[in-house]
Amino acid sequence: MNEAIGAVRGVYGVWLREITRATRDRGQMIGGVSRPIIWLLILGVGLNPYFRGEVYGQVAYVVPYTYLQFLFPAVIVLNIMYTSIQFAVSMIWDREFGFLREVLVSPMPRSLILLGKVLGGATVATTHGGLVLLLARFADVTLSFGEMAAALGFMFLLAFGLTSFGIILAARVRSFEGFGVFSNTLILPLYFASSSIFPLDPSLTRTQAVTSYPEWLVFLTRANPMTYAVDALRGILIDFNQFPTVLGPAIVLGMAVIFFVIALIDFNRT
Amino acid sequence: MSRRPRHPWLRPAANIGLIAVLLIALSFLPPDNSLAEVQENGVLKLCVPESYPPLVQADEDSPGFDVELAGLIAQEIGVRLVVNVMPSIGRDFNPRNWRLTRGQCNIIAGGVADTVQTQGFLQTLPTLAETGWVGISLDGSLPARGSSWAVWPGTSGLDRLALSRWLRENDVKARLVSSPTELRALLDRGEIDGAITERFAASATGIDNGKYQVFWLPPESFERFRMALGLWKGDQTLYRAVRAALKKLDYKVKNIGSEYGLVYNFRVTSEQLAAKNFTCGLALTT
Repeated sequence: MNEAIGAVRGVYGVWLREITRATRDRGQMIGGVSRPIIWLLILGVGLNPYFRGEVYGQVAYVVPYTYLQFLFPAVIVLNIMYTSIQFAVSMIWDREFGFLREVLVSPMPRSLILLGKVLGGATVATTHGGLVLLLARFADVTLSFGEMAAALGFMFLLAFGLTSFGIILAARVRSFEGFGVFSNTLILPLYFASSSIFPLDPSLTRTQAVTSYPEWLVFLTRANPMTYAVDALRGILIDFNQFPTVLGPAIVLGMAVIFFVIALIDFNRT
Repeated sequence: MSRRPRHPWLRPAANIGLIAVLLIALSFLPPDNSLAEVQENGVLKLCVPESYPPLVQADEDSPGFDVELAGLIAQEIGVRLVVNVMPSIGRDFNPRNWRLTRGQCNIIAGGVADTVQTQGFLQTLPTLAETGWVGISLDGSLPARGSSWAVWPGTSGLDRLALSRWLRENDVKARLVSSPTELRALLDRGEIDGAITERFAASATGIDNGKYQVFWLPPESFERFRMALGLWKGDQTLYRAVRAALKKLDYKVKNIGSEYGLVYNFRVTSEQLAAKNFTCGLALTT
């Protein structure tokens, strides 16, 4: 019993450190706010006229929501992606400045240290995703408490998987600069190829999608796990799913488990 | 030795609070100019078909539920209502061929059903009126196998494929007609056993209510939809203003609705539920 309490306190300690550090990092905070402003307020409003109808019965994409509503869940996913993956910088930081060594020599099992770190990262990323929900009025997305709770739960699961993924990357990249470049070349392609800012595939049949877009792009979209994460969040927030409802949560849950296990294997080798 | 701050959470909490206040403030920015343009021109343009009783009627004293509703909304926004009667509405199954443009209409009404198909093109605000497929026959019974029924689909965008599938499954001979007048003529001449059409299209046929019974088609096969006001996608500020006006006008809207006979309950009586007979069961009761 005492061992269990000790383990929980250990995980809590690591989690708390990550939270404290994140909340004191103004740069990270500003990033968390500037992304939704740029993507939703500027890009969303800027592209809105190109997605609205001018003649009844004639729109570029026949989907039962507006462009801002379409973009809204994707911006949340983007905020989570950035925060989660960039969170791995803290791992590199800890490794560079010796904090990790101090933690690793503690009697606490490595799996619990990693769990504390991932939970900390996921909490921060979920908070950043949650901040976007404050712009729901702007995008005309009406949310009930149930929907909000479901969205936050899903966002946490996604953040958990992506933070673990960030840690996997951190184990393979040795410098801050290298990680920055690496993460950007990963986050943006994943984001753009997830039907996030323009409907590469949603609501269209596969035949129509291939007619509108080259086969390779449709393939990339379908192979990209972030497509299903965005789709699942759209299902929760604007009640629209392109894929079967269970597919998104199942893929995100699978990502969380698989990435955490790989991160644990890497972490044990540290 | 540095002292531990008394309230370590205070600064981070203040940071998060500041961000939250900033984002909430930003959420009040207008995402477009649609409302500003209507207010600047002082005119709210409503596009309606020539007739779609009781939602649109060619009667100055009683112009129809949708027209009166739009008048109240315009008043609430502080502009004048201009009704553009568009004879093209309903002339073709494909709404693209009606050629309704953003320049002509701020709102489209008089036959806009709040279906997913409509929402693909317009932002909808449901009203009191409810629509769906109805049957018209002398005894209010569902089509029997092998019987012959006239079908006039109307213009509201109900699922025609589902209807045609259902007719085929029930082995009903469907005879497609092109107007309410034709439908009524076939009924009166007794050339058909009954007719199927959209609820408000049924009122446009002008059938003798004492002679014929109008009833919903089985609810397990056909969904019913609310009628709606249709606004252009992306006209968020106008959409919000109309939505807020409708909310504020709730009581007046219900009054107008009852004047036009729209505040009805369609119900299945317990006896008919037990007999699984939905045909007469969907009686129109006030």
